[in-house]
Amino acid sequence: MKTVILATAIRILIPIFLLFSVYTLFRGHNHPGGGFIGGLIGSIAFVFHTMTHGPHHTVDTFLKVNLYGYPRQPNQSRSLYLMRMMRVNVWRRRRQALHQDIRTHMVRIEPISIIATGLLLAASSGLPALLTQQPFMTAFWTDFYLPIIGRPGTPILFDIGVYLLVIGIVLKITFVMSEE
Amino acid sequence: MNHLLLLLPLLIPLYAAILCLFFWRYVKVQQYIAVLAQAGLLVSTFLLLLEVNTNGIATTQIGNWPAPFGITLAADLFSCLMVLTGSIVGMAIHLFSIKGLDRGRQTFGYYPILLLLQLGIGGVCLTGDLFNMFVWFELLLICCFVLIALGGTKPQLEGAIKYVTINLLASGFLLTGIGLVYGITGTLNLAELGLMARAPMTHPSMVTLAGMFFLVAFGTKAAIFPLFFWLPASYHTPPIAISSFIAGLLTKVGMYAMIRLFTLVFIQDKGLMLPLFTVLAGLTMVIGVLGAASQNDFRKILSFHIVSQIGYMLMGLAISTPLALAGSIYFIMHNVLVKTNLFLISGVVAHRHGTYALKKLGSVYLQHPFLSLLFFISAFSLAGIPPFSGFWGKFMLAKAGFEADYFGLVLTSLAVSLLTIFSMTKIWNEVFWKRKPETDPLLEVMTEADLRVNRLLHLPVVFLVVFILFIGVYAEPTVALAQRAAEQLLNSEMYINAVLKR
Repeated sequence: MKTVILATAIRILIPIFLLFSVYTLFRGHNHPGGGFIGGLIGSIAFVFHTMTHGPHHTVDTFLKVNLYGYPRQPNQSRSLYLMRMMRVNVWRRRRQALHQDIRTHMVRIEPISIIATGLLLAASSGLPALLTQQPFMTAFWTDFYLPIIGRPGTPILFDIGVYLLVIGIVLKITFVMSEE
Repeated sequence: MNHLLLLLPLLIPLYAAILCLFFWRYVKVQQYIAVLAQAGLLVSTFLLLLEVNTNGIATTQIGNWPAPFGITLAADLFSCLMVLTGSIVGMAIHLFSIKGLDRGRQTFGYYPILLLLQLGIGGVCLTGDLFNMFVWFELLLICCFVLIALGGTKPQLEGAIKYVTINLLASGFLLTGIGLVYGITGTLNLAELGLMARAPMTHPSMVTLAGMFFLVAFGTKAAIFPLFFWLPASYHTPPIAISSFIAGLLTKVGMYAMIRLFTLVFIQDKGLMLPLFTVLAGLTMVIGVLGAASQNDFRKILSFHIVSQIGYMLMGLAISTPLALAGSIYFIMHNVLVKTNLFLISGVVAHRHGTYALKKLGSVYLQHPFLSLLFFISAFSLAGIPPFSGFWGKFMLAKAGFEADYFGLVLTSLAVSLLTIFSMTKIWNEVFWKRKPETDPLLEVMTEADLRVNRLLHLPVVFLVVFILFIGVYAEPTVALAQRAAEQLLNSEMYINAVLKR
């Protein structure tokens, strides 16, 4: 179902969907919104992209990460090498990639690991309470406000977990359904 | 410490399942994670039992919301015994599935789902909130659906659809009942419900009406008499590792919920409930055992026996004296272990001979005397022959029945025991004793590797037999625990006070 109009429109709409989903996610604690709805809104972007371009293109666009690396020099210490590798992957990625020694590894993020990450975050949001001898999932809040996010606390972790979980599941379902 | 100990039976399987999801493509890693998690679960549930045994009922409020408003987790002795038995069986099943389940099924999320099923069992047994219990039951239903359908052969899908349709209906009844209860009392916390149901302003007939919905719902999930038809239709279809876990545990979890609710909340109308339970218990026993007598397949006989044994557990609830409930609790533990073990033995036999049909099997005794001994112990436990575990459960139930003048029910249960022995003898004769009928000898050829796998499959069976022998031959601590658990169940004030902190 590839039409030029939809393909062009979706290019503009995807960032809007994603921004709005993140906004919904963070306002969810005191207003309508939250992880579940935010996740659904965010996944609309990917669903539309899959509808116009097909699942493979969506995976190529959103779920492939380039990792840069180079072989360890003979007399380079292991910790220095690890730190260099991290810097290569974080700082000025594009320009680094043009360097001739540096090799690129493509890593594909599976929807299932997004699901697992979401579950892990949601389950772990209760653990700090257990460490301080309180009942599971007792909320801890900080004293300061951040713009947009509001007051950070452990329940926001739960919401982010649900957000990732919903996106992962919708992605998995979309990919399976559109490949058939 | 309480907060952590109560949550560990839920957190360990949950985190293990999440880890398994991260290692989706590496079955070997998943196996290690799952077995380690089961070992951890075994230790943590045992610690929880010790803690509850010494310090009384343990509670924790999720999110630190006080009791009638937030979700409560509460562990009394009955729930501890259930989770402990569940983790023992889970350990055996995990060990069995490493070699006993084909690779194709293991790669498609078998271990995460199994761990989530274990999580659901822990959740049902530990929760102190009615709606939360419904959610855990849904988790069990979904995991079971996936497990039964895993692999997607035709009989499996057929069984899975039957299972899901009827159990979804039961969930609908459960939800209706929960809605009714909430409408009548305005709370869903079990302890608060127990208080409200006894309060003079609550209309007893409305509570009984809600109780009927719960009876139908949990009756379907526990497979009692008129509602059991989904069970023999679906439990024999999946591979043996899956069906033994489901068959061993799930109906008993339904039975757990029933005993919990009908001793804590719906206790007003004993004149209606107890005769009803008596009739249902008797009919469940008889119909189940008669169904088993007419079957000719190893697994189908065992499936029908599940139904028959549910009748014994219901019998304790029908008599409803401390001794009878203790008998029920002991019987549930014994039955979970023995039933799973019998299914696993059928799996070992089928792994060697490639079939479950009694007609085609034979002379296993000649080839595997050790396996025959293991079967002998489990089968005699199931039938209730004195030194083994089934005897103590049936003895407590029968004694309680005689004390409370339930002669008809006790006589029925004894007659059913005889028929159980008949069924077990039938399996013994056909599978172990008789000469193997002439078949194509090529079917029997096994490589050295297959034989080694077959020997490894004995390990979980031996593991379970150790526990069966322990609670049978050295029954005193277990019986004492069951009796104390029954006292806790009947003195609901202890539970209510522990949860509401009064």
